Amino acid sequence: MTKADYYCSVKLSRCRCCQSKFFNESIRMLRQPLTRALALKSPTRAAPLAARCQATQIQPQPDKVEVFIDDKPVYVLPGTTILQATAQAGVEIPRFCYHERLAVAGNCRMCLVEVEKSPKPAAACAMPVMKGMRVKTNSDLTRKAREGVMEFLLVNHPLDCPICDQGGECDLQDQSMAFGSDKSRFTDIHFSGKRAVEDKDVGPLIKTIMTRCIHCTRCIRFASEVAGVDDFGTTGRGTDMQVGTYVEKMFLSELSGNIIDLCPVGALTSKPYSFAARPWETRRIDSVDVLDPLGSNIVVTTRTNEVLRILPRTNEEINEEWLSDKSRFACDGLKRQRLVTPMLTDSRGNLTPVEWEDAIVAAARALRDCPPEKLLVVAGDMADAESLMALKDLANKLGSENVCTEQYFPLEGAGIDLRSSYLLNTKIANVEDADFVLLIGTNVRFEAPLLNARIRKAYVHKETDIALIGPQVDLTYDYLHVGESASIVKDLATGTSSHEVMKRLQQAKRPIVILGADQLKTPEGSALLAYTQELALKVQEKLADKEWKVLNVLQRTASQVAALDIGYKPGVGKLLQSGPKVVYLLGADNGVVSRDQLPKDAVVIYQGHHGDNGAAIADIVLPGAAYTEKRATYVNAEGRAQQTLVAVTPPGKAREDWKIIRALSEVVGERLPYDNLDEIRDRLSQVSPALVNYGNVQDNNYFAQARALAQSLQKPISGKMDVQLKQLEDYFMTDSISRASPTMAKCVQAVLKQKQSSY
Amino acid sequence: MLKAVSRAAGLAKTQLSKSLPALSTCSVRLQTCPPDPTCIKEAWKIENESIISMPDEQRQKNALESTITVPTKVDLTPVNGVPEEHIKTRRVRIYKPSKNAMQSGTNNIHHWEMEFDNRQRWENPLMGWTSTGDPLSNMKIQFSSPDEAIEHCEKNGWMWYIDEPKIEKSEKPKNYGLNFSWNRRTRVSTK
Amino acid sequence: MSVGKILGLDKVVTLFNIIRQNGGIRASLYKLYRQDELKDGVLVGEDKFGNKYYENPRYFYSRNRWVEYSDKFNMDYDGSQIPAEWFGWMHYKTDLPPHQDPSRPRYKWMTNYNENLTGTTAQYVPYSTTRPKVEAWLPPRKSSV
Repeated sequence: MTKADYYCSVKLSRCRCCQSKFFNESIRMLRQPLTRALALKSPTRAAPLAARCQATQIQPQPDKVEVFIDDKPVYVLPGTTILQATAQAGVEIPRFCYHERLAVAGNCRMCLVEVEKSPKPAAACAMPVMKGMRVKTNSDLTRKAREGVMEFLLVNHPLDCPICDQGGECDLQDQSMAFGSDKSRFTDIHFSGKRAVEDKDVGPLIKTIMTRCIHCTRCIRFASEVAGVDDFGTTGRGTDMQVGTYVEKMFLSELSGNIIDLCPVGALTSKPYSFAARPWETRRIDSVDVLDPLGSNIVVTTRTNEVLRILPRTNEEINEEWLSDKSRFACDGLKRQRLVTPMLTDSRGNLTPVEWEDAIVAAARALRDCPPEKLLVVAGDMADAESLMALKDLANKLGSENVCTEQYFPLEGAGIDLRSSYLLNTKIANVEDADFVLLIGTNVRFEAPLLNARIRKAYVHKETDIALIGPQVDLTYDYLHVGESASIVKDLATGTSSHEVMKRLQQAKRPIVILGADQLKTPEGSALLAYTQELALKVQEKLADKEWKVLNVLQRTASQVAALDIGYKPGVGKLLQSGPKVVYLLGADNGVVSRDQLPKDAVVIYQGHHGDNGAAIADIVLPGAAYTEKRATYVNAEGRAQQTLVAVTPPGKAREDWKIIRALSEVVGERLPYDNLDEIRDRLSQVSPALVNYGNVQDNNYFAQARALAQSLQKPISGKMDVQLKQLEDYFMTDSISRASPTMAKCVQAVLKQKQSSY
Repeated sequence: MLKAVSRAAGLAKTQLSKSLPALSTCSVRLQTCPPDPTCIKEAWKIENESIISMPDEQRQKNALESTITVPTKVDLTPVNGVPEEHIKTRRVRIYKPSKNAMQSGTNNIHHWEMEFDNRQRWENPLMGWTSTGDPLSNMKIQFSSPDEAIEHCEKNGWMWYIDEPKIEKSEKPKNYGLNFSWNRRTRVSTK
Repeated sequence: MSVGKILGLDKVVTLFNIIRQNGGIRASLYKLYRQDELKDGVLVGEDKFGNKYYENPRYFYSRNRWVEYSDKFNMDYDGSQIPAEWFGWMHYKTDLPPHQDPSRPRYKWMTNYNENLTGTTAQYVPYSTTRPKVEAWLPPRKSSV
């Protein structure tokens, strides 16, 4: 939103308020001393007051039920719980077991409120409202009920806040201060009857101190509803009740870290973060995750220039409030295997640390001496849009068009000219409204865990059915396995198949098709894409909902969409065979370019943040910044541009990536025309305005054109589809950051060990 | 001595002490201020016309009688002494603080905040603590609305941008009974 | 009062004495250049560095005890080159020089005196006692040829 737009919207809303303002003022004029009423009010002072009046004024709505929260009327949908109704009235009720995104359990009893004409206090989280119900959220009875519940909870809760990792961000701590009693009636000073529970081992990510558990069952509900791994549960009753996995077992889920957030006490805490810091001594920087293509919003917690942990940040359109384990726990990889100084190969062929000047001059000489057609630029998984842009401009100025990404995407037909053919057009948030999902050649669970969580949400709450073409994998929900052959897609698209899936697709009101981008690598990729487009469009044009998009392509990396938007060619294929003299790797670590594919005298320049496959084959290493160390733009799989913010300073001599390229361009003699972030973002917006439209995503169109262009590519296909990430152990280490992370390595070990166990 | 005291006491009764407001630092003389309300015996007399007039008319009348104030752009940068480096190169993010994922309370997030871009920190070799040369690194100001934050930034000459959180949720009633429905997938298997 | 004293001839005699004691004109000029003063006095003692300690009560208090630094220090002499045992005598804390003082304690744990090495290559340099927060990547060694 530009400044002007913003002002416009603010002014409009003020105008709307003014209509009621006159009314309100006239009333006040009669009640107040007239001297004050008649005093001239400047419009700026009157406006916020009027806005406040507007906000409290509530219009009766026909399909809604009127309830009174602390004598204030609120209109809510029938069937709403008291707790939700009070939230609408702006009153927050204390709770432990209730969570917005989980089923109602009603077992902590903290949310007891007084309801008029009800003999007992009611649990607000489970009690539906009735017409004219009068709820008192702050009456004596309510407060006494809360105090009593708090006392019961604290009887069996240890007093170990000083050594508890949850201390400072603990719901029980806060609520006992706010609602608990001021004194204790606990007389069992010999602790003969205090409950103690054995700790459970649920893997290398989650530390359990089960004595602290207050049995809210949030972790159990998360595991069975969202994660879809029904391992948690309770055993015993009363004071013997225990939360656990029945048999000792690792929590085999890619979303397991979220139960740490969910736990309202310190029973489940983060193992890598244990005893590391207190919440009040850390800085929190809002940022964006780049380890999967979804661009989940995160909060990076830092102290003394060190990333301590990563937490999710609520974004209803992307990750709700979950975060996948790789994004959450791979942050310790940011501290290992880092490139901290520029390096050059010495006479023996070993990389030795040098100053920036030497490295830049060496790189510039290599670039200048290279014939333009022999220059190859390869961008990797986590390259940001700014550096992609700068590097492409530099290569173009040197006369080269050989800029490409590691991931392949077919260029035949519409190729990457139409944005709709390589994006998640349905958008992540809309996936939960779908009533039929067809997955083609993708294991969503590990390629985009939070998209899978959305599909599972639809599966559980909307009775959505899912079908899969591709290798049979565990997606955490039941699905119809159609087969592994790519020819099934062709049969469905051409209408020669009368498979049940086709019927379901045609019957569905909001079907979606998700195609994994990995399948497009094969020579048959373009035909597969063409058939998928054909299939999706055929279904889409018969839908009643004209806005609904069926076709989705799920990219694998965070940089791919931005790179394609900027105009990178997907895949290195032919360019590599032409024998490049200089290869510039921008964080390309997936081993697509290897030394034995290159001529002997080729110079490899690697710019990136981790010493991995790319740096190992390089002659010149330029240390860049990782995603927590730079302000950079990333575009997620649905085409939403988001920016990361600087959380910590890049280590050693490392610098922001686009600045390195800008400096290099100066030495090469082809100066790039941008000196600061604003100027390079202007350049980005020249290429595509969507790249700097932060936080928003545009609707994609031109499906019909893409389909028409793809008609000629519909050749017979017969290959078997395969996915890269099949099992949980494949998920953890997929890029240079997670490969450097010791926690992720421990996860792989633990999963493999768990696989050998008989449970 | 005694004489001096009595002279001072006498002074208090003279004209000089009554004109004390003239010595006060207040630029407005007491006489020009509205009279002390405690001295007023009855309410101010108000024209009948102004009471019976419609609010619109009253407004109109007031507006005609008063002077028009034109909002001018206030720029504090020439006078506030902030180094140019910290005006021209800073970028302010105006945002709504996000809920701490570890807790369910939301009482501390119903406002807008501004923060500056994070600058370089370096490590102290003795203790490993970090230092920064950025005097604005700890400045987080809370506002009740984004326009107030914008106004503040404009006044101080900082570049700003708004980061709007995507936290709008659809209103969906929750139902305890879903845990036990026999034909739906929401049925609870573990407890 | 003798005639010589009235004429100030005794000062001349003292000068000659000083020059003689300091080893002739050349040596005296060198000492004057090195120490900016030329005095005569009784050699009280010598320390392990070869510094010579003199005393002459004819001079005024606080100028009547002095050190001539060992020749090995050349022009780089400074106060920290006086060992601790001579420090007390130099600063009038005691009138007994260390070799004549029987009550000086000598313990096994007493270490040798060292001069202040600041400004030399042997100086103490503080180093970071903190663990490095970031582990750098070490490039693989290709060959040792």
